Amino acid sequence: MLIIENLTKVYENGFVALKNINLEIPDGQFVSIIGLSGSGKSTLLRCINRLIDPTEGRIIWNGMDITAATDDELHMVRRRIGMIFQQFNLVKRSSVLTNVMSGRLGYINPVYSLINYFPAAEKARAMAALQRVGIQEKAYNRASALSGGQQQRVGIARALMQDPEMMLADEPVASLDPATSHSVMKYLQELNKVDKLTVLCSLHFLSLARAYSDRVIALKDGVLEFDGSPRDIDNDRFKAIYGEDAVEVEIH
Amino acid sequence: MNNKNSVPQRPRSQAALRRLLIILGLAVTVALFSYGWTVTNINLTVPQEPVRQTNVGNALRELLSPNVFTQEYEIIDATASVVMNCPADFVAPEVTPVDGPYIVVDPACASSDDTVTIRGYNFFPNALTRVNWMATDGERRIRQVNELGRDNFVSREDGTFEVTINVPRIRGSAGETHTIEVRGLFPDGPPQLSATTGLVIEKMIETIFLALIATSVSILPSAILSFLAAHNLMRPIRIQMGSLLIAIVLLPVGWFIGTLLIGRLGEMMLRIGNLDFSGAESVAATSALIILGATVVVNRRIRSDEPGLPRLVLNRVLIAVGSIVVIGLIGGLGLLAGRTFTTDWPGYFGRFIGSLGQMVELMIVPLAGIITAVIVAGMGIAVTRGAFKTMTPTAGRIAGLVLGGLSGALLLGLMAMIGMSAAWLGLLPPIIAAGLASGLLPQVYRQFVSTDPLRPRGDRFVLMLLGWAGAIVAFILTYNVLHTQRALVEGTLPPTAVVLDLGIVQLSSYVLNAMLIGAVLGAASGFLVGTRSNFGIGSVMYTTTRTILNALRSIEPLIMGLVFVIWVGIGPFAGVLALALHSIASLGKLYSEQIESIDAGPIEALQSTGANRLQTIMYAVVPQIIPPYIAFTMYRWDINVRMSTIIGFVGGGGIGFLLQQQINLLRYRDAGVAVLAIAIVVSILDYASAAIRERYT
Repeated sequence: MLIIENLTKVYENGFVALKNINLEIPDGQFVSIIGLSGSGKSTLLRCINRLIDPTEGRIIWNGMDITAATDDELHMVRRRIGMIFQQFNLVKRSSVLTNVMSGRLGYINPVYSLINYFPAAEKARAMAALQRVGIQEKAYNRASALSGGQQQRVGIARALMQDPEMMLADEPVASLDPATSHSVMKYLQELNKVDKLTVLCSLHFLSLARAYSDRVIALKDGVLEFDGSPRDIDNDRFKAIYGEDAVEVEIH
Repeated sequence: MNNKNSVPQRPRSQAALRRLLIILGLAVTVALFSYGWTVTNINLTVPQEPVRQTNVGNALRELLSPNVFTQEYEIIDATASVVMNCPADFVAPEVTPVDGPYIVVDPACASSDDTVTIRGYNFFPNALTRVNWMATDGERRIRQVNELGRDNFVSREDGTFEVTINVPRIRGSAGETHTIEVRGLFPDGPPQLSATTGLVIEKMIETIFLALIATSVSILPSAILSFLAAHNLMRPIRIQMGSLLIAIVLLPVGWFIGTLLIGRLGEMMLRIGNLDFSGAESVAATSALIILGATVVVNRRIRSDEPGLPRLVLNRVLIAVGSIVVIGLIGGLGLLAGRTFTTDWPGYFGRFIGSLGQMVELMIVPLAGIITAVIVAGMGIAVTRGAFKTMTPTAGRIAGLVLGGLSGALLLGLMAMIGMSAAWLGLLPPIIAAGLASGLLPQVYRQFVSTDPLRPRGDRFVLMLLGWAGAIVAFILTYNVLHTQRALVEGTLPPTAVVLDLGIVQLSSYVLNAMLIGAVLGAASGFLVGTRSNFGIGSVMYTTTRTILNALRSIEPLIMGLVFVIWVGIGPFAGVLALALHSIASLGKLYSEQIESIDAGPIEALQSTGANRLQTIMYAVVPQIIPPYIAFTMYRWDINVRMSTIIGFVGGGGIGFLLQQQINLLRYRDAGVAVLAIAIVVSILDYASAAIRERYT
């Protein structure tokens, strides 16, 4: 259970990214977060694993206050929360395998990383994760040699290495073509349905949110505009979220 | 509707002003250049003086005729006989051409003062040649060649010559047979490299290695500094105020524990590694080793996932002691190797490894101090973090007051100790005091005047003004209390008489005054800020590192070379130190700019996986910066080779030293060899480094 209470984020330059957000997300839900660019989707996701420190409010996950965690506690929390990104955020020059194994760093002895050593068991785990996303044969390629969809699958494999209970996905398909988008979304769906992970996924396209999520959260200028089932978003709601001039674009 | 075709007309007066400004600008430019022309002594008549033109022509000619090769010569003689005073029955002997050099004398009989013609064949082309007259006494008399009025002449292109000489007057020589001997210089073997070339090559190799060692020595320090000087890595590092103050207070404590206890242990380990088992110390050291080993084993046995506090403390102590023991043992082994291998090729390695050992010997106590200080401070932070978090604001303020006072006193005390060493370093305490005070008034304003909750930072302009006001007041106050002006003007250092003896440190009144100021400023800041707010320690470290790097970079290696020559004497070692120091500053900057331009995405991704800071750097930053680091290191080596060719001018060794000597002795042909060598090596390296850089960037 993830509980967000009165979450507010004001950036150093005075920009208010999130205003008093309250949410309760039960375990195992697939939640889409929609809204215009700059509406606070990314900030919200990053506050959950404290890549961004919230200005006010609390985030409580499994009974623990993430916002009050010390550095050591934060490492412990973060390693159970996977995250994938719009730009994949892989180290382009490193091999796919190294990229995937680096998802396990929170679990292994920090001294190992000084000599770039991973135990054999972790290597096997990484190969299994790559097999799961179907690109085992690319393990020894450079990450930069992969296509966008493949890179995002490496990103998912890296998150899988964390043995996560929750998955944050920040616009995971915004840089991909429609067909690849669906394949990546299917992997997220599988994680949600098979592995029972909670998934929080920010999306641009409402159609994707409708197809994959149990629940949709809409942000507008940092304020919670809508919270409910994707079926409840009719044309009026849509215009409220995206503005009067918006027209819904379908992605199939 | 806007009409896009109508460009708004600039008013006439504005156009006139523009024109006036352009004319004014031109006038100023001309004036500037005229002044520049005068101060740089540009003079077009001097270069036209004939004497100077001849001189520069000669110097250039010699420089461009470098003394690269030498030729060994062999003297080959060809002889023919002459009968004196022509007896009646004289018949000139028939000369048959032979393969080697030979001469024909015409006529073959002659009296004193007669002129005879000598024709030579099969001599070396353009060979230097001379003619000797040998009477029966066997004595050689050099004969002048009539055509030239000189002794020496040169054979023609085809190896022949024809000269005339006068027959010498030799008493009672009538009827005797004398010999004409022609000695020619014949090249012996192919041309060889001259002794100068040999010396230049030797010095060039020294130069290249000087540059190589200076560069490689600088890689590690500048790589470490580059992380501290990269704002994208450092800016986000913030630390709770209370933790920071605890760290500042504990750092000196850790330093003393480290240098006194652990450093001592390190020295013992050094002796053990060196196989020096004399005295009771070795017993103590051996037992310390055994205890350490046992602790490590036990520690591994009780491995658990959740670190408790005692466990944390034990782990950190083990890391401190363990690393110093290992470093000490390795250093000792190095010393041992240096002592054992002293001759022949093992001697090369022995000397190298031995001086690495010496380096450890020099560094182990300060290193132990630094490691222990960091670990003790880290433990202090870990222990007190929770307490600061739960503290009430009032308690936080009081803790801030106490800890801030202590920290401020320590900080300014340290600055004062540095400031005592040279007059202008005396500016450090006032500057740091100003830095401390700059936060005071803005804090007061923020907490008691500004009430806007959404803009907690208050009005920027007011804050800036208040900050500067506080800083200037604190600067002037400290400047006066510490009598900095006297130091600046007269170059005198503050009195060192000890007024307070604390056993491990002795304090003079100067340091004590500085500490008092620090304590007041620190306590006030601590009280205002409390212990819960976050302090951007990363920004402070970033600014400090950048400032030091920039200051170091602005000092030319030649000037550094002058100082190092005083310290370590004339020779390549001084050059290595000067170039290494400059390379550290310069590479540190270049490297850090590379870190700043990396893709931040992977850093964010790894942070989100729960990796700690070290792991994030190793796996997200390092892979991205290795190629540019290689490229810039090559570039720096290239620069260092150029610089090391002239670092010898101040005594820093390498080819510059030789070049300077040759120029001072006016041996321009030898200097030409050195110049040629520099040109060749620099252009090869230039090409190579460009090629490598192209591959990696």
